[in-house]
This record gives sequence, C-alpha cells and structure tokens, in this order.
Amino acid sequence: MSNTQENTTHFGFKTVEEDRKADLVAEVFHSVATKYDVMNDVLSMGIHRVWKRFTIDCSGIRKGQKALDLAGGTGDLTAKFSRIVGKTGHVVLADINDSMLKVGRSKLRDMGIVDNVDYIQANAEELPFPDNHFDLVTIAFGLRNVTDKDKALASIYRVLKPGGRLLVLEFSKPLYRPLSKFYDFYSFNILPKLGKLIANDSESYRYLAESIRMHPNQDTLKEMMNNVGFEDSEYFNLTAGIVALHRGYKY
Amino acid sequence: MPLDNLLCGLLETGVNKLHQLDSSAQQRRKMLDGVIIAVTLKELNKPLYFVISKQQIDILAKYEGQADCFIRLNLSALKELQNNHQLTRLIKSEQLEVEGDIQLVQQFAQLLTEMDIDWEEFLSSKVGDVLAHKFCYHAKQCQQGLSQQLKKIEKHSAQFITEELKLAPGPLQVAYFCEQVSELEKQCLQLEARIAQRLQKI
Ligand SMILES: C[S@@+](CC[C@H](N)C(=O)[O-])C[C@H]1O[C@@H](n2cnc3c(N)ncnc32)[C@H](O)[C@@H]1O
Repeated sequence: MSNTQENTTHFGFKTVEEDRKADLVAEVFHSVATKYDVMNDVLSMGIHRVWKRFTIDCSGIRKGQKALDLAGGTGDLTAKFSRIVGKTGHVVLADINDSMLKVGRSKLRDMGIVDNVDYIQANAEELPFPDNHFDLVTIAFGLRNVTDKDKALASIYRVLKPGGRLLVLEFSKPLYRPLSKFYDFYSFNILPKLGKLIANDSESYRYLAESIRMHPNQDTLKEMMNNVGFEDSEYFNLTAGIVALHRGYKY
Repeated sequence: MPLDNLLCGLLETGVNKLHQLDSSAQQRRKMLDGVIIAVTLKELNKPLYFVISKQQIDILAKYEGQADCFIRLNLSALKELQNNHQLTRLIKSEQLEVEGDIQLVQQFAQLLTEMDIDWEEFLSSKVGDVLAHKFCYHAKQCQQGLSQQLKKIEKHSAQFITEELKLAPGPLQVAYFCEQVSELEKQCLQLEARIAQRLQKI
C-alpha cells in the first residue's frame, strides 16, 4: 500500500487526506450555521426534536450535574440540560466550529440562558478537560463528522466520571429495505435541492447525505464504544433505524 | 417510547405557548425556579416531570433524580385544582395524593391554571380589532351553547343509565325502596314492643 492511501479518510463519498477533512467539515458548517436550525426542522420534518427528547430521557441527567454537549452546534440539547441541572449544575457546549458556537451562544442568550453554560471551541478528538470530569457527554449528529472516531470516543471516555454516560445520537442504517430505497431517494435527490432552495447551498447537503452513508452501522459503532472501554453499551433504533441512539457507561 | 416523547413535546409546546401570552406567567415561574414536580394521572399511572425554570416549563417522560414533590391525582380532580380551596378537600377524598410540600402544589396549580390571557387582545394583534371582536363574540356564544348541550347530554345519559340499562335505580324506585325500608323499620319496632310486653307478663 502506498503512503498516500494510508493517510486518507472519507469526506462524504470523496476520499481526502486526513488533515484536510477537518477543514472541509468546517467549511460545511461555516456555510450552514445561520440556517442550521430552520434546515433541521424542514429536512427532518421536525422529527429531530423527538429524537432529542428521547436522548434526554435516556441521559439520566439531574439537578446539580455536569454535562458536556459535544459538537453541540446551535445548542438544542444544551438549553434543556441547562434548565434541568439548574443553578448547582453546569453545562459545556463544545464545538470545533466557531460560527456554530456563535449562533448557539446568541440563541441561548436570547432564551435567557446565561448562568450555567460555557462555550468552548474544541476538537472531539482532543478534549481540553480534566479526567473524570463530566457526569454525561452527548454528541448529537456530530460523530459522523469527526475524522478519527476511535480517538474521539477514547477522549470522551477519559473526561467522563466513573458512573458517567455517553450518548451518541447519529444517523444509522434503516432497518427495512423499502425504507432504505425511499430514504436514499430523499437524501440524494430531494435533500440537496431543499438545501439549495433554503440555504442556497446544495453541496453541504450532498455532503450530509454522503457522510450518513459512510457512518458505521449500529453494531459497528457499539463495538467501537466497547473497544475504548465503555460497558453495557446498547443502542435504540429510532424511526426504523434512520437514527440510532447509542448509550455506554464508564464504571 | 418516542410516542411519549412526542406527547411530552406537544404538551410542553402548548403550555409554553400559553405562558408566552400571559404577561404574569414569568413572575409566577420565577417563584418556582429550579423546582421539579412529578405528576401522575391515576388513569395513566405514569409520571410526567415538570421542570420549572425562569425561561419555561420543560416536561420530561423520565427523570432519574429525586423530584421536589410528587402528585398523584384523578383526571377529574385536574379541573378542580384551579380552585385553591379545593385542595384539602381533594386530598381528604383521596382524589389527590401529595408527597412533599403542599405549598409547592398550590403554586404549581396556580402556575398551570391561572392564566390571564386576553384573547381578544391577542387576536387583534394578528387579525385586527373588528375580526377579533367578532370572533370572540361568536366563541363566547358557542361556549354557552356547548355548555347547554353538555348539560343536556349529562341529563340524557343519566336517564339512559337508570331507565334503559337499569344500571342505577330511578328516583321513584329509590323513593319506593326507602318507603319499604321505613315500613319494615316500623314493623320491627312494633314487634320489639310486643315482645317486651310479653316478657313483662311472664
Ligand atoms: C450536524 S451539527 C449538530 C449540532 C447539534 N448537536 C444538533 O444536534 O443540532 C454537527 C456539529 O459537529 C461539529 N463538529 C464537526 N467535527 C467536530 C469535531 N471534530 N469536534 C467537535 N465538533 C465537531 C460541527 O461544527 C457541527 O456544529
């Protein structure tokens, strides 16, 4: 195998050099940041809100705890966590992309959330937090974009307290063939067009569709979590496997 | 599971939309800032968790921590929560069970039921004064009509239960039964008196 091949990774269906993927992903999210929330609602027909609610129910988060909303983007989960953990708790919204962070911060400020949230620009692969620090880490629709997923999972494991949980909410493999067919059609034909129409950016949404296809399926991701030390890992298929929520514990 | 989430989501959106229209709601939420209240409807036997903050009310289907207050109640008692003076009566009649601070329950009930929304005002900002007034007028009439209909239905179903299904006795039947009972009572008393007389003679 030649050297060039060893240092490449996926950017959607394209193969790119590893150190370029982060930049390319950054470009995608810089360009969609301001339209991100609207697009989420339109493209998922609002269903992403139900997926996120399910995530919160599985999180075990409670008053006084510390949570990290990794790749938190515009902060949907952070907002909920902030209200649940209350004054005695703390939430960190971390994202690699400062455009997304800015949109997130001003959205949460407008909602009146100020006291217990910090905004930190960070790469999931190298989290700038001490060991055993958080009761909960969530990464919603973010892991797909990370270049070295194993490294990110290991880094999350490190910052979790013993007894803490990781929740990964991510697109996954649909359970039924006909659904897959429809879903493919939607993702490759309709989604980029909607992206063009609303955010004037079809490329980013083509990347979205492609990156979903390249993401590890349910069992592979569970295996990856176990490999870095998570225990009792399990997953829940949502909307027939279009999305899966993985949960693992650090003991 | 996600069905629960969907329902919670709809309920939460509804409650908060109403709160946004009520200018005093924020003040009332402030008093309960940081409080988590578990509410179980006896009919469903499943708790919902109300997380109250200055910003809004979040409704969760699951919470693994300890709520500040647990409430169990019948669906029918829900309506009566509106009336603060009813709380003790509801508790006594076991339609409402509270574990925790009763004052929290009162404030919580107020938070949900005492909404002070001027619908006409709200509508007029959307569709203009005239339409808003007309709409509210008709709505009020509909409401009156509806409550009359409801009363009728109540009466008819009562008749249906007593006369058609014979599940419950009608008023005449009850009166007749009561009469028979008092007759029996009288006869018993007479009998008692006679026995006493006989006993004395012996
Ligand atoms: C699709 S958004 C998800 C936002 C939010 N969690 C939600 O569910 O709405 C994905 C986010 O992942 C961030 N991201 C991508 N690669 C990352 C990395 N290596 N580390 C941290 N965040 C990353 C992007 O900047 C983007 O904001």
